[in-house]
Amino acid sequence: MKMSRAQVPGLKRTDRPLTIQVERHEEAAVIRLGGSCTMEVSSQVRHAIVGLANEEIRLIVLDLSDLDFIDSNGLGGVIAGHLKLRHQRGSIRVVNPSPAITELLGVTKLTQIFPIFPDLASALAAPVEPKPPAR
Amino acid sequence: MKPSRLQDGHQAFDPPAQSTMPTAQTFDAGEPLKEIVVRNNLAAAKLPEEAIMREVMAAGYGEEDAFAIKLSLEEAMTNAVRHGNRNDPDKRVVVRYRVTPQKTVITVRDEGGGFIPERVPDCTLPENIERPCGRGIMLMRAYMTEVSFNESGNEVILIKVNQS
Repeated sequence: MKMSRAQVPGLKRTDRPLTIQVERHEEAAVIRLGGSCTMEVSSQVRHAIVGLANEEIRLIVLDLSDLDFIDSNGLGGVIAGHLKLRHQRGSIRVVNPSPAITELLGVTKLTQIFPIFPDLASALAAPVEPKPPAR
Repeated sequence: MKPSRLQDGHQAFDPPAQSTMPTAQTFDAGEPLKEIVVRNNLAAAKLPEEAIMREVMAAGYGEEDAFAIKLSLEEAMTNAVRHGNRNDPDKRVVVRYRVTPQKTVITVRDEGGGFIPERVPDCTLPENIERPCGRGIMLMRAYMTEVSFNESGNEVILIKVNQS
């Protein structure tokens, strides 16, 4: 049976509100983004990521499983967090983005700085660069 | 000046044209473009997007095309509000559009002095890839069928052909 447009999974008539959930794991943190990161709310993503990057966090895992949409300002927030984390040899990893967001990360070539993992467990298990020695 | 619809509940008038270059309405013959004028803030900027996306869905565009139009419109509106109008609450953004089952034409004009698109750095180059901003124009060009600007650079014309 042919599906009508309204039945195509992921094709939504209205934006779902952006949700941001933060979960801490010692030197790592998981940020779960859900809904739509659109222009009027995308600065919230920047604040969440940069705020964590300013703490003693070495790894931020961005779980995008439930994210429908993100604009360039939202992506800019992720990059701003990456730049902060890099000073402490930290990094950001991306988990399970939708096909549309995977394509967006590819088009922008951000896959070169944000590795994509299929699930949370593998993203958290991958080794982190050793912490720099204390001076 | 001709009065325009202002979607956040206020009356507004069209800002004077910044250029004599043709808009999508003149180089793409067909039904007239609809027009929505909004105040210069990101919340108001959502209103034309919602109106256009309703028509895009009703016209039978596929999921990928709808994502492309939404993304490009968000980028165009953000550029207009933040860069063109420099977050000035007294300025307006003018959106004109026409959605048909074959293609969608959208123009977004701000009241700023414009810019030179060729001078925007390519953020996909290795030396620019970590820049936190500057991806909007690149995304519009990547996702839309055609993207052009008027001579003064304060109006972007976006065209998406329905691929489904």
